[in-house]
Amino acid sequence: MGSRRAFLFALAGLLALCACEWDLWGIVTRPTVEDRVRDNLSGDPPAPGPVPVNPDSFRFAVFGDPQIKHDYLSSLGRFKQEVADRGIDFFCVLGDLTNDATPDEVDTVKLQLDRVGIPYYATIGNHDLYQADGWERFKQNYGPSCYAVVIADRVKLIFLDTADGTIGPAQFDWLASELQDSSYIRLVLTHFPAYDGEKPIMWRLASDAERAKVQGLLERYGAYAWCAGHIHGLRHTQVDAVHHLTCGAMAPGKLDYGNPGYLLFTFARDSLSWEFVELNWQ
Amino acid sequence: MPALSQYPHHVHVARLTVLLVLVAATGYATAVPSVMLGYRGEPGVEAKMLAAVQADLEPVRFLRVDAGISFNLFQNTGLGAAGVGVGGVVYDPAGLTLRLAGQHQQWNDWQAGENRLLLVLEAGPLFGFDAGFGLVRRVPVFGDMYCSPSVWGSGAAEWNYLYRLRWKFIRRESWWLRAGFSTYDRFTAHNPQQFPLEADGAYRLRDDLELVARAGTSIVGYSGGLVSFHEVELGAGVRHGF
Repeated sequence: MGSRRAFLFALAGLLALCACEWDLWGIVTRPTVEDRVRDNLSGDPPAPGPVPVNPDSFRFAVFGDPQIKHDYLSSLGRFKQEVADRGIDFFCVLGDLTNDATPDEVDTVKLQLDRVGIPYYATIGNHDLYQADGWERFKQNYGPSCYAVVIADRVKLIFLDTADGTIGPAQFDWLASELQDSSYIRLVLTHFPAYDGEKPIMWRLASDAERAKVQGLLERYGAYAWCAGHIHGLRHTQVDAVHHLTCGAMAPGKLDYGNPGYLLFTFARDSLSWEFVELNWQ
Repeated sequence: MPALSQYPHHVHVARLTVLLVLVAATGYATAVPSVMLGYRGEPGVEAKMLAAVQADLEPVRFLRVDAGISFNLFQNTGLGAAGVGVGGVVYDPAGLTLRLAGQHQQWNDWQAGENRLLLVLEAGPLFGFDAGFGLVRRVPVFGDMYCSPSVWGSGAAEWNYLYRLRWKFIRRESWWLRAGFSTYDRFTAHNPQQFPLEADGAYRLRDDLELVARAGTSIVGYSGGLVSFHEVELGAGVRHGF
């Protein structure tokens, strides 16, 4: 009886996997983070350039996980209103743009992001790789997944590809080189969090040695923050002088870790500050 | 003679390890010292050789004490980790043991360290299986204080749970093999979602001397559904029983 139950349970699990929209073979054979970083650093496609802003005062929003599903719902329509109300100059999307990375979802989220009407930057999340062509589609729509851009010659945004839950050798070297120039305020923007408070959940970089190396680099070069998605809500952990933030999600409805929302960064009087803006969902 | 507190803590651990070996040599307690050489690699993170000395001691029945110290070569060179533990058998037929352990691990090139306190309830071996479940208080330390095992406050401090299930699936007169998963050992405590797999074995060279070997790996990306094997750890050495 026990083995029959186990067999039925395994069969049900297998059927559930087959029924989902993920391309399981595509997931297994996907380009690894090392492959993607090699693509990124080859310069094709080129990294996006800096957006024009008032160099003395500008604002930008950071969020992750619109995670567009087959119902095509997101909170991006409400975010568009925020852009107008709060004078946001540009925004950054930290991965999981879609839920299953199907062509329809990919096209829809691109359309919704474009409709916000201001410039934006994006990096990739694990959900964006759930189809065999996930990386190719991401590249076509948004360009590289690891790149750096300097805004107004003051703030350096370093986008990192952690969609696999790891950083990889080439990207670690690249990150160290990008962090070195202390003439900018430096933020790392990526999908996976590194630290997540005293009682962490599983949605973060898993390797403790990798996290130690990351934090060692951030501290050595005086980075301002590590901003991440993956967790659908705000979390703030300060490790020495480095802020570790999960930035809230743009998925619709009440989420697993709170309402949709975003981090609003304000650069003024030569310093950077942040606040979390919650989008109440009714 | 300098006061005890003037010595770095890893010196105390090294002394304790030597003391356990010497106590064992007197024959008044059961003790098993071991020496291991190995390799640990994690893509993009580190690749280093390991050298570790450990000792397990049972000074009286139902009380177990252990200590060990590990050194890194070629990357993060120098002291790598130290650990001490004490365990009391609470139910002998099931091998139920409550174990309290302290660990310090450090990565010298990155000025990063981590102090840990582990409380684990372990059971077995029973029909070849051994299991463990517990909690670890993990306190990462960075910057100037990274090599201090006495720092127990950090913005990055966190609680993690620990688990272990291993099966000694081959037991012969002179050798055995075991496989399973374990998020902790003498020197490390993995994150719960890292899911480390391991296999180890021993071959008896003499009545009181064993050749031991261990291979381990761990998974990352489990929380994102994009699973990949990440860490590789290999080790071999000898274990001497007194």
